[in-house]
Amino acid sequence: MSKTDKRWVKGMRDSFFDSLFKIARKDKNVILITADTGAICHDDFKKYLKSQYINVGIAEQNMVGLAAGLALSGKKVYIYAIAPFATARCFEQIRVDLCCMDLNVTVVGIGAGYDYSTLGPTHHGTEDIALMRLLPNMKIYSPSDSLMADMLAEVTYKENKPSYIRLDRTGLPLIYKRKNDIDFDCGFSILKKSTDIYIIATGRMVLAALEVSKKMYPDVKVGVIDLFKIKPLSVNKIWPVINKVRNVITLEEHFLNGGLADEVSRILTDRKSKIIFKPIGIKDCFCRRYGSRQYLHRINNMDTDSVASAVKSTLRT
Amino acid sequence: MAILNLNNKANWLRRQVLEMAVNAGAGHIAPSFSCVEILVALHYGGIMRLNSKNPSWPLRDRFILSKGQAAVALYAVLADLGFFSKDELMSFTCDGSRLGGHTENTLAGVEAFTGSLGHGLSIAAGLALAAKMDKKRYKTFALLGDGECHEGSIWEAAMFASRHKLNNLIAIVDHNGLSATDVLKSYLDVEPLADKWKAFGWQVKTVDGHNISQLILALKEGHGQKSQKPLVLIAKTIKGKGVSFMENNPIWHYRIPVGEELDIARRELCHE
Repeated sequence: MSKTDKRWVKGMRDSFFDSLFKIARKDKNVILITADTGAICHDDFKKYLKSQYINVGIAEQNMVGLAAGLALSGKKVYIYAIAPFATARCFEQIRVDLCCMDLNVTVVGIGAGYDYSTLGPTHHGTEDIALMRLLPNMKIYSPSDSLMADMLAEVTYKENKPSYIRLDRTGLPLIYKRKNDIDFDCGFSILKKSTDIYIIATGRMVLAALEVSKKMYPDVKVGVIDLFKIKPLSVNKIWPVINKVRNVITLEEHFLNGGLADEVSRILTDRKSKIIFKPIGIKDCFCRRYGSRQYLHRINNMDTDSVASAVKSTLRT
Repeated sequence: MAILNLNNKANWLRRQVLEMAVNAGAGHIAPSFSCVEILVALHYGGIMRLNSKNPSWPLRDRFILSKGQAAVALYAVLADLGFFSKDELMSFTCDGSRLGGHTENTLAGVEAFTGSLGHGLSIAAGLALAAKMDKKRYKTFALLGDGECHEGSIWEAAMFASRHKLNNLIAIVDHNGLSATDVLKSYLDVEPLADKWKAFGWQVKTVDGHNISQLILALKEGHGQKSQKPLVLIAKTIKGKGVSFMENNPIWHYRIPVGEELDIARRELCHE
């Protein structure tokens, strides 16, 4: 499929790499390495920036070490694979080569959560946030739409630090209208205000949270926070926001262990908060059913109906 | 430096490693002894271009100690070359020291964080590739252990380096035949090692890893004018070389001599 094909929709992946391509055209030190993971937008790199594009083959460990060597030589390196292969497969290389040395390499994982819903647990990105959260020096971005993904190429290009970007193949409809609406220093956006309850969501689950909010209005005013910079989290900025409500829900397409749920629960316990907290995410088991992403959400009680009833029961407690 | 002086330098390096490790009660003595001549040939034999006054000189040759456990020996060499004060050497692994059991690139003269095995060749390939991209003429050297060649990532990097014609990359395998616990042959043989590298598209030279002139000759010849291949030296070595009771004995991988052992070790290293 090419860009001129009518079926082609510019999701997060293509928005990010198109933006990166524009940057790379101006700076020959920007290098994109893929572990044989494709994307339509890579065609531009192959065609116009051949010397800045490397397919290392199905060899993620080498990809990370190689990126480290290039970064030590002043290159700004982006490495790319499906989320579990970009993070878990070469975890120890990321730990030592990128994080211990604090190098300018951006790990780009495609397939957040159940994005690859038909391919099974091998391809599910369900513990990538947890793994990357563990590592000192690592930043984590989890964009919620294509506009944000587009901007992340520029953000990481300027940062000079290791970071992980968790991409979804989707990214439309857009959540944000203008780039000015997204503040990467802050790391989160309040999309719907509330005095009762906030859903803190990340990635494409932000869209689900907005749907729930819309569905329950005007009976309940459900607030929605899009948390797109998971590490470092602006605790001092988010705490005053959530401290104004009685109920907080986290919503993530990730294992409950080690993800957003853990991050937010720590904020609450550190402050001896009386906020009623309900984490929604993937329980501690591998998903052994196949089907659409919506189907996997339903059987994991993460679809909008389940989230709406969770909101109701949380408010009753 | 004349070969005689280089041999003296090697003896000095062994004594220095022994004293640093004994003082610390830590450090890998035998794995360091096995690569002493390799380190001396590279750093004193006119092979590597370095500038201790300007450690990040862009055109310097790069050295990656992929077998990071030989850190103690590399520290002694770097201090001797003036990258940092020799006074610091005896702080090796003591409280608050910058000199750890494995190398960190925050120390002047050290290019990469190593110690976890199987990482160094990929990093070296990245450095070599960057030199090609930037049309810089520096060379990159990586010192690997033979046990380290058990790691699959070494072969990912090996495949990559030949595909990308990194004829500015030189790997040296310290082939002493022993790993942390045992003789390689007894549980997972790496042989035929030279054939494996050849099959991965590398130019291979086998040398006596304790013969400094052989090492220098092989390194100076390098890849040859027309070769497009990366080069690997299989350096046949003896783990624990220089101290009779340590030689070829796996228990000395991470042991520090005490009492009479230490007396014998000191005596043998001085009498060479």
